[in-house]
Amino acid sequence: MVGEGKRKRTIAIEEAVVTAAVVSAGFALQFTLGSFDKAFLAFPVNIIALAAFGTLFFIKRGKFLSRLSSGSLSVILLTLILFSTLYMGLVPGNRVKLSWPFILIYLMTLINITAVISVHLKSFSKKSIPFLLNHFGVLILLYAAGLGSADKSRYFMRVNEGEVEWRADQSGFGARDALKELPIAISLKNFEIEEYPPKLAIIERATGEALPKGRPLLFPAELNNFAQIEGWSIKVDSLKYLPRYAPTAYVLVTSQGTNDTLRGWVSCGNHFQRHKTLDINENFCVAMTFPEPKAYSSDVIVYTRSGKERGGIVMVNSPLTVGSWKIYQHSYDTQKGRDSQWSRFELVYDPWFIPALIGIIMMIAGAITLFWKGGAR
Amino acid sequence: MSWSHFIYFAFGSLTLWSAGVVSLYRAKSTTAGKTLILAGVLLFSVFIAGLWIAQGHPPLRTIGETRLWYSFFIIIVGFATYLHWGYKWLMGYSTLVSAVFIFVNLLKPEIHTTNLMPALRSVWFVPHVTVYILSYAMLGAATIASFVALKELRSNQRLMPLIDNLVYIGFGFLMMGMLMGAIWAKEAWGDYWSWDPKEVWAFITATAYLIYIHSRLRGYPLKYILWLLPVAFILLMITWIGVNYLPAAQGSIHVY
Repeated sequence: MVGEGKRKRTIAIEEAVVTAAVVSAGFALQFTLGSFDKAFLAFPVNIIALAAFGTLFFIKRGKFLSRLSSGSLSVILLTLILFSTLYMGLVPGNRVKLSWPFILIYLMTLINITAVISVHLKSFSKKSIPFLLNHFGVLILLYAAGLGSADKSRYFMRVNEGEVEWRADQSGFGARDALKELPIAISLKNFEIEEYPPKLAIIERATGEALPKGRPLLFPAELNNFAQIEGWSIKVDSLKYLPRYAPTAYVLVTSQGTNDTLRGWVSCGNHFQRHKTLDINENFCVAMTFPEPKAYSSDVIVYTRSGKERGGIVMVNSPLTVGSWKIYQHSYDTQKGRDSQWSRFELVYDPWFIPALIGIIMMIAGAITLFWKGGAR
Repeated sequence: MSWSHFIYFAFGSLTLWSAGVVSLYRAKSTTAGKTLILAGVLLFSVFIAGLWIAQGHPPLRTIGETRLWYSFFIIIVGFATYLHWGYKWLMGYSTLVSAVFIFVNLLKPEIHTTNLMPALRSVWFVPHVTVYILSYAMLGAATIASFVALKELRSNQRLMPLIDNLVYIGFGFLMMGMLMGAIWAKEAWGDYWSWDPKEVWAFITATAYLIYIHSRLRGYPLKYILWLLPVAFILLMITWIGVNYLPAAQGSIHVY
């Protein structure tokens, strides 16, 4: 394979020249028109482009197809992608991904991959399956997540408990004038937070620093839980955590030197109640941290204008899918925490979700073949 | 079963794994080594199962518990790779990395109560990280081999099959990590890919290895393309550790 001669080298030069011309055209467009407007690719443009790319599958084998599918072109394009993404990774606040040169490199890559798949399909055998999984997978994914993403939209919707909401905004701030009615509505039956127990610590009253200094020991305020911190032992004697009220623990603090025991209530407070510490002496006191959320979830029913209805629980890492919509748990009233009266959702409309997922699954299968078959020839 | 019992299981498993690796290298037959490694896996799973039953839920809620799964999966995947490809050193490496995570759990008990934030509570978290650690091992080994190959270039090319193999396997793991991350990202916040700094650098790294793979297929001269491996490995290191220090990375979702 090495040094197959002049022919290969001249072809690589031709490809380099063509690519350089395309990238220069990209820069020219960038300086005259400014950044690329992604909305241009929205339906039906992306479908038309898909059909245009698809014709590459029907082109007969020949000089044209072999130029488009050339491996040297792949290396050149990959190198250009490497440099564009390096720029993206090093320069803060850049807009590379919407720049004309990058978009043109992206399109050339789509053409290159489509053409090489077209070549392989024409001499299909079992051996081409790993190749096809990797390349068809990445093609579908690049298509669906790239050109398809122009059809994607994203909204934020705040819903009060017990109410139905059709309106959403695109900023996430819920400004009244920016609200828009969607073809989808959410009815929030119940919002719930599961919390980790709050933690107890001994802190220095002047600084708020927890003991032992530098390696603070915080322990969960659970019934009968105890800890020893710098000469004191603390035990949780009882706990109260009523709706609307803050978590409160009744603790016993015993000084290991004198064996004196001090007792009292400690609470982290909430929007409704002040926090409460238990002074051990003039320098130190027992304090409680706010309980951290473990999981938060919304029990909802989703309605669409087309008459679909679907109920379920939406939580972080577990969205609800209704047609091409996915509904994500976004946030809640953190001031009120557990008592939040509303839940905010993120709604993503993505008609290209299924193709993208198929692409990803094909690529995972392809990655497994890479692992299984290795690269030694 | 609780964390206070962990030390016995940890040392038991580590002893079995280390003995297994030594036996793979020393003994004529690999049966004893494989048995020892499997025994270690079994012992370790008894602890995980015990913790699971005692807590009444899968141990996937604290930082310490995720470290526990890393130490477990590294061995499992490392062993599977060894069985398929026969790389003994990988089994040694897996034992070492597993030991690091085990010692983190033993020496920093406070991570047993450090709660995992809701966004990290996902089945994708552990496999997403584990396959990366293995991919780093493969690609690291390929880098070392590339230096030797560059030195020997004039006399022979005996290392090329090994290097290509390591790159393909390592790249396969790298892709699995990225793709699982993409599925998780879609489940967590609605985008497969959001060009977060860590994602950008992972993309850069993957592209560099793709250039190597495609250049090899084209048959470009080895004296040039072998240099791609050290360069790609530097990019990999930036992705793994360096990203957090880059000015472009402020506000990344991957900073921890």
